[in-house]
Amino acid sequence: MYGWHLRILRVNLTTRKVTMEDVDPKIARDYLGGRGWAIHYLYKEMDPRADALSPENMLIFATGPLTATPAPTGNRYMVVTKSPLTGALAHSNSGGEFPTWMKRTGFDMFIFEGKASEPVYLFVNEDQVEVRSAAHVWGKDTHETTDILKGETSQEARVACIGQAGENLALMAAIMNDKHRAAARSGVGAVMGSKNLKAVVAMGNKNPPLHDPEGMRTLSVNTSKEVGADVKKGSNMRIYGTSYVPQVTNTLGILPTRNFLQGTFEGVDKIDGDALKDQYLIRHTPCYRCPLSCGRLTEVPDGPYKGKGEGPEYETISSLGTGCGVSDLAALLKANYLCNEYGMDTITTGMTIAVAMEMYEKGYISEEIIGMPLKFGDHDAMIAMVKLMAFREGFGNDLAQGSFRLAEKYGHPELAVTTRKQEFPGYDPRGSQGMGLLYATSNKGASHMEGDVAYEEVFGVPVKENPHTTEGKPELVRHFENSFALMDSSGLCVFVAIRYAFNKDRMILPLRVTEMMNLTTGAEYTPEEVMIAADRVYTLERMFLIKAGSGPEYDTLPYRMLHEPLPDGPAKGMVVKLDEMLPEFYKLRGWDEKGYPTQEKLMELELPLN
Amino acid sequence: MMIRVKLIANYREALPPEAKNGVVELDVPQGTTIYDAISRFDIPLNDESVIVLNGITVDMSTPLKEGDMVTAFSAIAGG
Ligand code: SF4
Repeated sequence: MYGWHLRILRVNLTTRKVTMEDVDPKIARDYLGGRGWAIHYLYKEMDPRADALSPENMLIFATGPLTATPAPTGNRYMVVTKSPLTGALAHSNSGGEFPTWMKRTGFDMFIFEGKASEPVYLFVNEDQVEVRSAAHVWGKDTHETTDILKGETSQEARVACIGQAGENLALMAAIMNDKHRAAARSGVGAVMGSKNLKAVVAMGNKNPPLHDPEGMRTLSVNTSKEVGADVKKGSNMRIYGTSYVPQVTNTLGILPTRNFLQGTFEGVDKIDGDALKDQYLIRHTPCYRCPLSCGRLTEVPDGPYKGKGEGPEYETISSLGTGCGVSDLAALLKANYLCNEYGMDTITTGMTIAVAMEMYEKGYISEEIIGMPLKFGDHDAMIAMVKLMAFREGFGNDLAQGSFRLAEKYGHPELAVTTRKQEFPGYDPRGSQGMGLLYATSNKGASHMEGDVAYEEVFGVPVKENPHTTEGKPELVRHFENSFALMDSSGLCVFVAIRYAFNKDRMILPLRVTEMMNLTTGAEYTPEEVMIAADRVYTLERMFLIKAGSGPEYDTLPYRMLHEPLPDGPAKGMVVKLDEMLPEFYKLRGWDEKGYPTQEKLMELELPLN
Repeated sequence: MMIRVKLIANYREALPPEAKNGVVELDVPQGTTIYDAISRFDIPLNDESVIVLNGITVDMSTPLKEGDMVTAFSAIAGG
């Protein structure tokens, strides 16, 4: 076999025993790689009911067959584990350079089990695998940790690590790689912290052999040229990264504002991509082998918010910015930098502060408890909360549990805008109905990256779809969920793949993804087969959720989305009409009317029947 | 009648200098359609662009009313 190494590195942190295992080629093919392989192992080997922060949880780093190949944006990996935030599955995607370096160690996947008795990091240089003490970097932020560990191993190595938030088991802790890139969501950093695993340092030269290197090179060059031609025409993703999106969602009235009390934000011009470009942008920063280069290095050169780093992404602007009613761009950047340094998911961080702000303003949480006033728009208080949260100090200990547990503790769970206890990303589903169904059913709780139908409902990519209607959405959401499971399994970045590696039908088809997978692995997939494999991955994840106790009863939306109409903007008066979509969605998925996969469906996908 | 046109992100370059925060006010005759208003600007009118009236997707031949806001952005490479 090609493309995949078919090798896994398994590290038992309790015993410090390291084993190298082969992967069954049939499993490799049937589960694609990355996210697919990871759920296969997780489902087979761990009890889904285990406490996510206990040694029984498994933490998996998984690359895909296209990672470390010439494929443009073949630079991704997935972190897959049981989430301490949601109790469901966590699968968080990241790019940068670490994933490519990880695959060059000669392993497709690292599996961590157990818990180290003291802080450690893993160093892998091909077959040299060492569990080393991390006592000297424990307590340090992600940037310092990265510098120190590269200094003592090799400047050729790449580092994925947690910051203080992960060490302190804050439930929004991320795993940062290459300092600025994040496997952000669902508290994966807290799982790493619970295992006393501070970092993973990877290097090597074992590029996976390709089935048809010449064919792969030609297809990759041609794809890069297509991206390059669009970049030349003036692609917003190149000029602005995702920071241009607040203007789009504000126009459509679905920009989360003040904990979703509104769908438009009066201060949007102060924190959008143009404001950023004009004031703080230094240069664009690509992930490895990316012709689009959507990342941005920014700097606030002086003043109280002095700092430097990458970002903000749209999702950061819509959470720490508009979500909190904050329109001070320098302060927003500072909060973003801190999240990267402490290692925190900006979405959950921002939206948890947002619900605290609403509860403060409504008098449900006092100034005494918080330690200061916490009004919407108070950017200094917002920054103070980020710090408290990372260290779980004072009120920060409540914040570190995420918005659902916070709102519940203070008697108003209905104010938390979450599904499966995970905070919504930056598309208010009341004005984007398909996103509502996606959030309600996503295997990882509310997430756009689970099947981002906003591509069609918001951006018209590849086909324009009316965001206000429910008709046809179950089919679209199901198809996008499977397509994203495919991308997450392949090792490609969604931003480029969806535009250049699928066809341009409403039901996007992975024609070029399949071609790339075949040139890489020689697996001779058809596009239909890879979509069936993606469905297999998605359905097995659903089985994990059901066993974990996060089953169909959680396929719903928070009160605000179902019962409080948007008060402003073009989607004024709308709520999510979930009951118009959910039954049809279950049916299309081959699940019974209660939301459980049927035996026929499991058999069709060759999945375990229990 | 007065209408407003807002161009987002890379389309802003097509705006006249008096535009503020990407928005320009235009005095147009009754019966002016979305298409008429937007064709005054040098932006592509094809699959790469999304054009909405007051935040809602409508037919390009829809006539405008006083106070309407037409917004356009490029969907190229998505978000
Ligand atoms: S499009 Fe952006 S996130 Fe994706 S690989 Fe390129 S630089 Fe990284």
